[in-house]
Amino acid sequence: MGSKQKERVHAILYWGLPVLAVILIVVAWVLFSAQHPELMPDPVSVWKRLIKTFVKPIGNTNLFGHAWASLSRVLLALLIAWAFGIFFGILIGWNRTARAIFGSIFEVIRPIPPIAWIPIMIMWFGIGELPKILLVFIGTFVPLVINTSAGISMVDKINISVGKVFGGSNMQILKDIVIPTALPSIFAGIRTSVSSGWTTVLAAEMLAAQRGLGSLVTKGWQGSDMALVLVAVITIAIIGSLLSFLLNKLEKVVCPWNSNK
Amino acid sequence: MSVDKKKLEEGLKKYQNQQKKLSLKYALLSAAGILGFLLIWQAVVKMGLVNEARLPTPVTILETLIYKVSNESPDGSVLMVNILASLQVALTGFLSAIVIGIPLGLFMGWWEYADRFIRPIFELIRPIPPIAWIPLVVVWMGIGLQAKALIIFFTAFVPCVINAYTGIKLTNKTLINVSKTFGASNFEIFYKVGIPSSLPMVFAGIRVALGNSWSTLVAAEMLAASAGLGYMIQIGRTVARPDIVIVGMVVIGAIGAILSGLLSLCERRLLKWKVNR
Repeated sequence: MGSKQKERVHAILYWGLPVLAVILIVVAWVLFSAQHPELMPDPVSVWKRLIKTFVKPIGNTNLFGHAWASLSRVLLALLIAWAFGIFFGILIGWNRTARAIFGSIFEVIRPIPPIAWIPIMIMWFGIGELPKILLVFIGTFVPLVINTSAGISMVDKINISVGKVFGGSNMQILKDIVIPTALPSIFAGIRTSVSSGWTTVLAAEMLAAQRGLGSLVTKGWQGSDMALVLVAVITIAIIGSLLSFLLNKLEKVVCPWNSNK
Repeated sequence: MSVDKKKLEEGLKKYQNQQKKLSLKYALLSAAGILGFLLIWQAVVKMGLVNEARLPTPVTILETLIYKVSNESPDGSVLMVNILASLQVALTGFLSAIVIGIPLGLFMGWWEYADRFIRPIFELIRPIPPIAWIPLVVVWMGIGLQAKALIIFFTAFVPCVINAYTGIKLTNKTLINVSKTFGASNFEIFYKVGIPSSLPMVFAGIRVALGNSWSTLVAAEMLAASAGLGYMIQIGRTVARPDIVIVGMVVIGAIGAILSGLLSLCERRLLKWKVNR
């Protein structure tokens, strides 16, 4: 009887606590917004504002249009960064001479945060699509190169020697031994690049853009429309979680041996 | 036997010499790479392939850097004041994230009920990029030190919690069972076994947090500030002075690199026991 009672208490706490936490958040939000409507809009007006983004579009497009504007920038930059970043990472991870020459230049540029590039990009290229895609490219290129080259240079020397003993050419060793071993590391780079790209595109849009979720944040902020800011921030958070969820699924398909660790 | 030994030693020496030569060669190549990069940059601008008003030469940038050390224009503070302003904001946010985030993560990793209660709140905050907090925080708290430090806090907090949580969850079960057998209380095990074994992961979290803080700082200062490196860059952009902007970028990069070097140093000191295992 005693152990059964204990189990029941455990079950109540186990499922009750998360529910309690969520309830507390909602209550805190409602109470705070009731007292300070100018600081924090209440849930109902955020919902109304969300509906309004579809009824009365901002910048000629609804919320989906803005989300797609941000996403398409990230995707385009990611595709370019994946191609160049993985290639460059393999190059400097595999060839010591290339690492000495180009790796040093990379090491000098790397510590500059992508967001610090925004002003100079605007000065050079204005506020069109090109500077934003370049910025996201910078933000995604760096983690890719770091992870790829680390993965390549951590490959066990014995495996490479075995490849050599069996008469594999340099290219064959790279393709059949080194790259498969480095794949989990490359994938970690891809994962970091996606979240970094998503953050960078928002920063770029917040500083200068007509369309995109980041520009919605700035518009709401400048127009003291906090409900719009919250609508944009919540959308940003949802898309960010969806992206990382998709990557988790993808990782299980691409390198299934990695998930059992 | 002795002949063999001699031969071996000779071979070893030869090998060491070869390695020394190789590392010298690569060091020289690295220097040549950077030097070549700067020379090409200088040449491209000087030859007029790129407008000098848009891309200043490395020499001009160096001159501006020296100029900014003792001059206040155009943003109203000398370089050192800007650096200190930025460091103050970044370190305030970063340290408070460590002080709050790591114990919270350890706590969540060790006590299940704490995990069940805090996790939903944490999972709501986590996916919001720190930059998106800026408007809300500015409306709530203005653009003072506290507001900027809070933004930095959000960005450094998440990796601290996640890594402390994962680190303590990965504690070797055998160690825990041994302590239990010897009669240690739950809190004692947490303190003497759980925390030390989570430290490597915690440090990895601190490293990510530091990088995040420094890069978010720039964003916070560009959107709302009255001094600091990000502010200096933003002013450089408004008055169309690319040299100021690039000086700001270079200084931010250099300080970021120095901070992460210092952290590595601490890590090596504190985790000495781990290397010897």
